[in-house]
Amino acid sequence: MNRCSAAALRGSLLLALASLAAATAAPGQTPAQDLLVRCQTMVIAPDTVLQGSALLVRQGKIAYVGDEIPAEAKAGAKLVDYGSAVLVPGFVLPPTTLGRERDLAEGALPFTPDLRAVEAFDPWQEELLRLPQHGVTSVLLSPSPRNLAGGLGALVKPGSETGGGRVVTPELQLALSLAQVARNPEREPTSLMGAIDALRTALQKAKSGLASGPDALILRGVLEGSRKVTVAADTYPELLGALDLAREFGFQPVLLGATEAHKLVPRLLEQKATLVLNPLRFDQPERQLQLPSLLAEAGVPFCFGGPAESLRLSAVLAVKHGLDRRTALTALTRTPAQTFDQAALVGSLRQGCGADFVVFGGDPLDLGSPHLATWIDGVCLLGTVPGNARKSKTEDAAAVAPAAGVR
Amino acid sequence: MPRPHFAPTLSLMALLATASLAAQTETRAPAKADGPIAFTHARLLPGGAAAIADGVLVVHNGRIAAIGGADTPIPEGASVVDCRGKTITPGLIDASFRTAANVADANEQGSEITPQLRALDTLDPEDKLLLRARAAGVTAVHVMPGTRSVIGGLGCVVKTAGSEPRTMLLKEDATLHITLGAEPSMGNRAIRGGEVDSIYYRRPTTRMGVVWEVRRSFFDAKQALETVAGAPQPADPGTVVLQKVLQGQLTAVTTARSEQDLRTALRIADEFGYKTVLDEAQDAHLVLDELAAAKTTVLLGAPSASLVAGTGAQDGAEPRSATVAQLAARGIPFVITTGTNLQALDLVREAMFATRNGLSPAQALDAVTLEPAKLLGIADRTGSLQKGKDADFVVWSTDPLDPAAVAESVHIDGISVLAPR
Repeated sequence: MNRCSAAALRGSLLLALASLAAATAAPGQTPAQDLLVRCQTMVIAPDTVLQGSALLVRQGKIAYVGDEIPAEAKAGAKLVDYGSAVLVPGFVLPPTTLGRERDLAEGALPFTPDLRAVEAFDPWQEELLRLPQHGVTSVLLSPSPRNLAGGLGALVKPGSETGGGRVVTPELQLALSLAQVARNPEREPTSLMGAIDALRTALQKAKSGLASGPDALILRGVLEGSRKVTVAADTYPELLGALDLAREFGFQPVLLGATEAHKLVPRLLEQKATLVLNPLRFDQPERQLQLPSLLAEAGVPFCFGGPAESLRLSAVLAVKHGLDRRTALTALTRTPAQTFDQAALVGSLRQGCGADFVVFGGDPLDLGSPHLATWIDGVCLLGTVPGNARKSKTEDAAAVAPAAGVR
Repeated sequence: MPRPHFAPTLSLMALLATASLAAQTETRAPAKADGPIAFTHARLLPGGAAAIADGVLVVHNGRIAAIGGADTPIPEGASVVDCRGKTITPGLIDASFRTAANVADANEQGSEITPQLRALDTLDPEDKLLLRARAAGVTAVHVMPGTRSVIGGLGCVVKTAGSEPRTMLLKEDATLHITLGAEPSMGNRAIRGGEVDSIYYRRPTTRMGVVWEVRRSFFDAKQALETVAGAPQPADPGTVVLQKVLQGQLTAVTTARSEQDLRTALRIADEFGYKTVLDEAQDAHLVLDELAAAKTTVLLGAPSASLVAGTGAQDGAEPRSATVAQLAARGIPFVITTGTNLQALDLVREAMFATRNGLSPAQALDAVTLEPAKLLGIADRTGSLQKGKDADFVVWSTDPLDPAAVAESVHIDGISVLAPR
């Protein structure tokens, strides 16, 4: 297939997917009646915490918050009262393959910027449907870092009234990688030098206007600043390579992994980089566990990377090692949404955002606080709906899966 | 030997220096010292000039402000460090240094010919071998791509301290690295009726094949150059690098350990009319006449080692301890390095070893300071203690060629950068 027909096919696929996305978000699939959700502590965004307040959900979105709710809307809404619980925005999981490497790592070629993760999106994928158990309400499905340029990510949600996931934004960031996994010993490039050179050459060609085709179009978007870029990079030379490329070609880097970020904090700050940190574990060296607080002190924005089950634990460990709670919660919600320009849709409970929230029995950054419920687009996908004898759609499934963490 | 001491006021200064070192190690951005510092009563081995038994070295704003005998005026307000019993030399320069970077990262195997790739991209200022070398008195290193490709790419010269590789740079595209011998063909496989499912089914699989790759690359680059002369045409970045070598604008460094590889390196350079430095020339003692005639510089990787250098150690060279003295006797320019040899000692110990095999102490020190600086084109900045040059020097507990010598402080741009041992 030549490049032109490939582009045409891609266009028609885009339309088909857009209509599919619209169909999955159809109003018929969200509750017709407004919901008035109440609880003692309501975190609208990390810097806006309401006490003894409420929010009104209409057609799966946040319609009003707190005092803004009109009396007539309140009167007509169905009350969902979580009492003394804490309600926070749903967690946003930054770029991940959700364990689907075989679908999202195009092994034949190292450089495939025009592939789209959304083509491999499976609304019924088990890993996707399990995300609400971990408080995750939206996720950036992304090509694997095994490719130098893997392709474009997509924002998807793990649930809807139908039970399957849905696509929110089909084309997002370009996923680049200088990480060890991108250097395949069986194909070019095998080395970091080669990987940096290959990316530089491709970007230079796009800049010079000599290159054509869908991949050049995407790279030109990067050069013009209209396309976000993630670069998977862990070690110092990988991170520096990514920052050098970002500086040379004028894009604002989002770095995935960033294990050795402590070595180049001034550069990260200077280039306004955002980091998606590797998950934290109890057994990691102190320096790794202190990295989030070091970055926060320096003013480098960051969020935590997957897997989903370690997202909350990462934030808790970061707090244990000096990070303030507000920044930790921001890293789980608003930062990933803002980083990929999706803050109007997810990551907070401001008017117009999806009604994606998680309810905890106490402070969400205390692992002892029970996880009571996860709502996506105004639908309770996990846990109980207070005052409703009917169990939620997934409560039965959660009950047989103790790992769900619903008490 | 009496233990060297600092004056009481200077103890505080030393403490402060240690504190600033700690800060530097953490922030990776050493601050410049404020006022001048005078190192007094030291035995100075300036390099390229006579030794000074009781000398003064004044450092200000990262440069050497003055050097001379005991009567050298000390600027007003200068901090004074009493170096009685100690020896100060220029910072050592390792002209063929292997970092701790993963072998896979320093060797691009996607192609055997990758002249445009840069070793600088693999450099970490906190590389553990770099820190170790720095603690042993090395203040600048020449880092090249690895020895698994025929033409691996561009080498760079960096100081051993700095906030990031670019701030450490003395010379960015300093050399082009070529490797002859068995190593570049290691892992390549011949196609014998099987299924081709890997990039390693390719040439070269033999020594002949390695040479063919070098010859073909330079031939193509030369052809492209001739075409360009008639009608300008853009060349790919790799070809541009090779053309710079052909035009004498870039130094080639050929790793050639055995006699046959050394002869081949000289033959190809002669054939295409470029100059090459010979790296890890362990069989240099067998081609002395040719080396003398070619007037090429020899990088003598780890002269103390009995092991053949290289990751495969398959080159069949016969290292001899006396090679270094033979090169000196014939007037063949040489530089002592550590290279890829797994038996390599710290650079200063390699120089010490050379003196045990017939080299004069002055020649041995020059071979790790002034000579590599000249070879790498950085002698205007470093390599000897001269007024105006960068203040890159080492304060040794005693004569650096004494087996008991310890680098007590290592200074780069006037800042003490010695990592804790």
